[in-house]
Amino acid sequence: MNNKNIHIAIFEPSQIVYEGLSNILLKTSHAFKLFSVDCLEDINTLYKEERIDFVIINPSEIQNKTKEFFSLKKKMSGICWVALVYNYFDRQLLEMYDDVIRITDAADSIAEMLLKLKDSNSAQPSSGEQEQLTDREIEVLKLMVAGLANKEIAEQLFISIHTVISHRKNISQKTGIKSQAGLTIYAISNKIIKIEDFTS
Amino acid sequence: MYQTNKKYVKPEMKMADLIFDNPSLLLLMEHCGFNSVVQDKSVAQLCEEKNINPRVFVAFANLYNGFQPTSGESFSKEDISQIILILENSHNYYENEKCPEIKQCIQQLYSENDSPEIKLIDKFFDEYIVEVKEHFSYEDDTAFPYFTALLKDDITSTHEKQKYNFSVEEYSEHHTDIESKLNDLKALLLKHVPLQNDRILRRKIIVSLFELEYDLNIHHIVEEELLVPAVRELEKIIYSN
Repeated sequence: MNNKNIHIAIFEPSQIVYEGLSNILLKTSHAFKLFSVDCLEDINTLYKEERIDFVIINPSEIQNKTKEFFSLKKKMSGICWVALVYNYFDRQLLEMYDDVIRITDAADSIAEMLLKLKDSNSAQPSSGEQEQLTDREIEVLKLMVAGLANKEIAEQLFISIHTVISHRKNISQKTGIKSQAGLTIYAISNKIIKIEDFTS
Repeated sequence: MYQTNKKYVKPEMKMADLIFDNPSLLLLMEHCGFNSVVQDKSVAQLCEEKNINPRVFVAFANLYNGFQPTSGESFSKEDISQIILILENSHNYYENEKCPEIKQCIQQLYSENDSPEIKLIDKFFDEYIVEVKEHFSYEDDTAFPYFTALLKDDITSTHEKQKYNFSVEEYSEHHTDIESKLNDLKALLLKHVPLQNDRILRRKIIVSLFELEYDLNIHHIVEEELLVPAVRELEKIIYSN
């Protein structure tokens, strides 16, 4: 796990606090990658494009939006939600989070807390741990490269379009390549298809 | 893009000191039409020589130094037209300098490593260049002339706007991301396509791709975060009359 980036979205309106927290995190020996977000909707958008491991939120930002917060939490699986607290909040509000960072916490305890939380959470299956494509993903990739649309791929493999889309997302995340032309070159380099198969 | 040792640029700072800290600013100077021999001049002095508002230059320079754009900063009409000019100059750099440079390297790569992948990478980059050119010509021929007309008071009412049949909203919606394909290329060259005695050339291409991406990324932020809000304000004022 240490050789892998840990992605953290931070939703904190105070720039002073944000910069302070990001400095503390980035100076640790762990590979953290931070994303600053300005609203709940941003977190959702980010989630569609990136793998997110943690979301750190100042609870005052969602005090009146608990409904939205819950639906977001439900939608985004496998993520640890951490509250960043520096004023008084109702206990109930803080119970919605997996853990709490307090402004009085020692700087070097924060990273440790996050990692512990991640370990206890990773009992659940988490995707994207490996770079290697699964057999199913390779099948999807072959059909994608052959120029089939999502619907056609779904029909041929007897899976739902939704599953195809989720395979595609995983393929792009593992390879770091989004475009079809790029994936074609990937498939040839990795001998998934032969150049002769590819005519265009 | 987070830099641990980032310096916040201010008009009174010496340009040479800033470049020693972040040489990418040389490129910004070029986009602004500055001479690259800066002597002992400050940012403000250089800006004055070229009739560029130091605020505009500083806004760009701080993006190069890794800061987030300051939201809610308001720019005058003169400032906006300077921003457009800098953006146009950078189009020129991407199209006529950086893209051909990478293209040439890829072709050289092909002569050293004539695998089918490299041939496809060459094709991939050609398609990318076409996409980039389309993106820029849309801005140069449609979006920027409309913005400039607004700035020059050529459009003063909703009626005249119809002649242009364009708005900043439309621009913002059509504003496509031209960086993600570069990422694909980097991933392919760095992780997937096998080496065949092309180490040095490949490193050159990858570094060039990073340079292009770095500048394009800032270019994109300027358009989205500075230009669009500024022109939107301008439209509001003009069309509410």
